[in-house]
Amino acid sequence: MDRRREVLVGLVVVLGIVAGVFGSIWLKGGWQRGQTELRTAATSVGVLVPGAVVKFRGVTVGRVESIEVLPSGEAVMVEMKVLPELVIPENAAVLLAPESVFGEWQAEILDRSEFGLPPFLDYPEEGVLPGAALPDFSRLTATADQIARNLTVISERFEVAFNEETAQNLKNMIDNMGVLSEGLAEIIAQQTERFEQLAEGVDASAQELGAAARAARISFEHFDSLLLGAEAETMVADAGASLRNLREVTEVAGSSLGDLRAAAQKADSIFARMDGLLTMLETPDGSFSRLLGDPALADGAVGTLAEFRALLADIQENPRRYLSFSIF
Amino acid sequence: MAELLLRPFAAIGNLTLSGLESLGRAWRLFSSAAVSIRSTDVWTPLLLPQMAKVGVASVPIALFIATFTGIVMALQASYSLTGAIPPYFVGTLVGKTMILELGPVLTGLVLAGRVGANISAELGTMRVTEQVDALETLAYDPLAYLVVPRVLAGILMFPAVVLLAISIGIAAGWFTALQLLEMSSAEFVKGLRIYFAPWDVWFAVIKSLSFGAVVTGAGCYCGLRTEGGAEGVGRSTTRAVVTACMIILCLDAFWAAVLL
Repeated sequence: MDRRREVLVGLVVVLGIVAGVFGSIWLKGGWQRGQTELRTAATSVGVLVPGAVVKFRGVTVGRVESIEVLPSGEAVMVEMKVLPELVIPENAAVLLAPESVFGEWQAEILDRSEFGLPPFLDYPEEGVLPGAALPDFSRLTATADQIARNLTVISERFEVAFNEETAQNLKNMIDNMGVLSEGLAEIIAQQTERFEQLAEGVDASAQELGAAARAARISFEHFDSLLLGAEAETMVADAGASLRNLREVTEVAGSSLGDLRAAAQKADSIFARMDGLLTMLETPDGSFSRLLGDPALADGAVGTLAEFRALLADIQENPRRYLSFSIF
Repeated sequence: MAELLLRPFAAIGNLTLSGLESLGRAWRLFSSAAVSIRSTDVWTPLLLPQMAKVGVASVPIALFIATFTGIVMALQASYSLTGAIPPYFVGTLVGKTMILELGPVLTGLVLAGRVGANISAELGTMRVTEQVDALETLAYDPLAYLVVPRVLAGILMFPAVVLLAISIGIAAGWFTALQLLEMSSAEFVKGLRIYFAPWDVWFAVIKSLSFGAVVTGAGCYCGLRTEGGAEGVGRSTTRAVVTACMIILCLDAFWAAVLL
């Protein structure tokens, strides 16, 4: 009886101890022998608690062992135990953040180059990873509440400023903007047409310039060919001879013009004498008066005289018409 | 008229004095029992039978209570945690509640009814039948013979029973979540582990140690204070259970305020 009682008592005690010890170990995540210790420092840890999971690329690799404020008060040191075979990135940092919206926090090891948004604390001690904590939901809620209050104030001010008169002014302004837009559209259409015409003119000019350039190129090519053909010297020589001949002709023409001027002066004196003579003829007693008495004869004489004067005037004005020179 | 006015004050004074008197007697009893621990040759042979009686015999009822507590906790948690709350919080609620509160307290209350009443009735009967006086006559230390083995058995066995009850309660909740709530084991275990802290288990052990001392101590005190025959035994039994339950609840709040 005593033996059976001893066994039963021993069994209950052992089972109780096993349930407590092994249950705790199992709930804590298993044995932690040989785990690597990691440390990180951050200005705040939010609501991270010892026992929180440590994740790397979304996988649980350890747990937070302890959290304590440094004696200087400048940071919080978090000690973690992670799997010994875990290879930490060279540029690793630890982000403390809620695991879900229900408040449980975690420590996530990540590559700082991939997630450099929060201001990680670079603690000046070897082996301490940079750490940062994202704002708690309660802080975000408080911030959102503040934003909502500010929006309320803005909306109230807007409500004060936006009365019926303002609305009417805005309506008028919108109408004016419509009219202005139509005018602008019309001007743009006109300018577009003019630009099209201008573009056509420019195109035609460009074509003409192109043709001129081609002609010039052809001329220059001919000129080049002439230069290359050594005909320029001959042309220059011919041109020189022509100029000399022209100078001689000019000299002859100058002397001829001098003679013509003398002849004109003589003609003037003759005309003066003839004028006197006609004056005398107009006397009634003169023999020519009777000539003049005949109207037909007189008209013929007067016409002849007029033609003669016109001839003389034409000779004075255009001597070359009556004097032809042949150079070649 | 003056007597009528003074009667309430007299009642309060009487209650206070009787309470202080009871405390004094209890203090004298347990201080004397602490001294009697030195009489190891008296209580050692009795410890194992008392451990079996207090602990082993209490395991079935403790596990029965824990099983149904776990089932009800899982169902009620699932009923309460609706909407955006993820289902793995059922595991969190079952685990935390069983470890921190329901495991130790419910087990303590149940054992107060079973063990406390048993001890009180046994010692009360011994008192009214003058067996305690006979022990004194035979030069036995009645405290070393009757109180010390029972209280030590309660202190030693209650944590084991409570830990077993917690484990069975969580297992029952887990089974319920799998079978009735369409949850997966991974979800339930995730909820169990999310907020688990080893200190929770220590908290449960400390509470159960104190509850074991209270249940057995109240039974011994009330039993040894029995007067008036069989009726007195009944009264002391009732008093032992009520006192143990009240102290358990007070201690529950005390430990929560002090240790958490």
